[in-house]
Amino acid sequence: MNVFLREMKAHRKSLIFWSIGIVFMIAGGMGKYVGMSMAGSEQTMNDLMNSMPRAMKAIFGVGTLDLSKVSGFYGVLFLYLVLMGAIHACMMGANIISKEERDKTSEFLLVKPISRKTIISSKLMATLANIIIFNLVTLASSFIFVNQYGKGEKMTEDIVILMMGLFLLQLIFMSIGTAIAAISKKPTKAIGLSTGILMISFLLSIAIDMNSKIEPLKYFTPFKYFEAKNLMYGGGLEPVFVILSVGIITVLSIATYYFYQQRDMNV
Amino acid sequence: MNVIEIKNLTKFYGKARGIKDVSFNVEEGEIFGFIGPNGAGKSTTIRTLLSLIYPTSGSATIFGKDCIKFSPEIKKEIGYLPSEVFYYDNMKVMDLLNYSASFYKKDCTQRIQELAKRLNLDLTKKIDDLSLGNKKKVGIVQGLLHSPKLIILDEPTSGLDPLMQQIFFDLLEEENKKGATILFSSHILSEVQRLCDRVAIIKDGQIIKVEKISTLQENTYKKFKIQCASKVDKKHFDMVGVNDLEENDNVISFIFKGDINTIMKKIAEIEITNLWVVEPDLEEIFMHYYEKEE
Repeated sequence: MNVFLREMKAHRKSLIFWSIGIVFMIAGGMGKYVGMSMAGSEQTMNDLMNSMPRAMKAIFGVGTLDLSKVSGFYGVLFLYLVLMGAIHACMMGANIISKEERDKTSEFLLVKPISRKTIISSKLMATLANIIIFNLVTLASSFIFVNQYGKGEKMTEDIVILMMGLFLLQLIFMSIGTAIAAISKKPTKAIGLSTGILMISFLLSIAIDMNSKIEPLKYFTPFKYFEAKNLMYGGGLEPVFVILSVGIITVLSIATYYFYQQRDMNV
Repeated sequence: MNVIEIKNLTKFYGKARGIKDVSFNVEEGEIFGFIGPNGAGKSTTIRTLLSLIYPTSGSATIFGKDCIKFSPEIKKEIGYLPSEVFYYDNMKVMDLLNYSASFYKKDCTQRIQELAKRLNLDLTKKIDDLSLGNKKKVGIVQGLLHSPKLIILDEPTSGLDPLMQQIFFDLLEEENKKGATILFSSHILSEVQRLCDRVAIIKDGQIIKVEKISTLQENTYKKFKIQCASKVDKKHFDMVGVNDLEENDNVISFIFKGDINTIMKKIAEIEITNLWVVEPDLEEIFMHYYEKEE
């Protein structure tokens, strides 16, 4: 419990900054929607988007969403929220495990009467608590700003489903971060390596949007698992991707415990 | 009873040697010195005992329990001071010590205050603002605050001024009198000689000798440097116990092991203008005595 509280305290400031970031992102993004959807210009946005080549649309994450509707607009914004959530979870996961070795505090913590297993559990719980708060802040500010700018269009259910997708993605990237930090013999490289994997899978997801021939690769990038255009309008979470996510999270969590208990600490 | 029992402990880092076939026991209530030059494997041995790293082969027990299998349980009664202390920077000294204390299921507040007062440590300061010596003090308090039965010290005196070293040694002797066993690693022979009952000497990852300190003290090693009034044949000092004999102009130097009186008489026979008697460092002793005995 003491390790958990210590970690919560250590990450408090970072969590506050991330939360402020999300609130501004959603407020700013939805504010843009109001600007673009002023009376009489509902069609212009879609026309503009349709005139763009497919590659450009893929980069902006627009795809098939109807930008004249608040749900469509929020769906585009969701991609960026996912990216933020993934970066946060991935960095925190890698950092929380590797920092004891990086800051050479492992000679303090690991000589205490506490097993490595308990250390990992406490740290995973702290990371989990942080990503849940991240998710709830995203949920709450989405409700508030979508309602404020939505001109009556209700999308409460859609937002809840999107947040569930976001949460699974956060868990995947958190476990990627912790597993890499637990396996890696060079703790300073853990954060770089895990964010590298994150960026590659993000780029892969864009590449798939641009080129439908490589569509089968979608199983390799978590960013394709829960996309707004599939989740919204009653689509829901696809069972195959939920199962795949749970599988990845389980395997990587076991790897985190296993390797952290097996290897020599860098001291 | 043996508090620590190390059996054929071997650790390789890939192909690089850490320690090889290290075996020795530390008995309950003794202050055991662990001495060797830098890089000999002292820290590797200690880190293996604390299961920060795992041995390639061999095993060790502490309080009669395997040091890896029962690691969390054993550590309730271990206090450890690493050679370099690193702590969470954005914490205050008091916060860190309370955090440290929170791992032991006992109230350590009073002990923290006591120790801080003895060592003259300001508990309200931030750890990043502390000097090296003060960080070391935090390490000492942190290692002793739960009144452990086994204290493991890895080169603990670096960074402490002589006055603080004195207080620190007093503290250790008090803890020892209360029943604590101490494993004291160092590369400085004189501090081990002062404090310890027995000593294990390690070199290139292997234990050369486990000796009583009294035996070591009989063999006091002194480095002599004598400036003579006139040229003296260095053969004058060619006797049992003298090693590394050198002559440079009128300055003769050597390392001496044995009865100090015999060498003093020898010196009295000649006219000298100056005399230095210093503690040779460990490397020199190893070079001239232990290597030959191998």
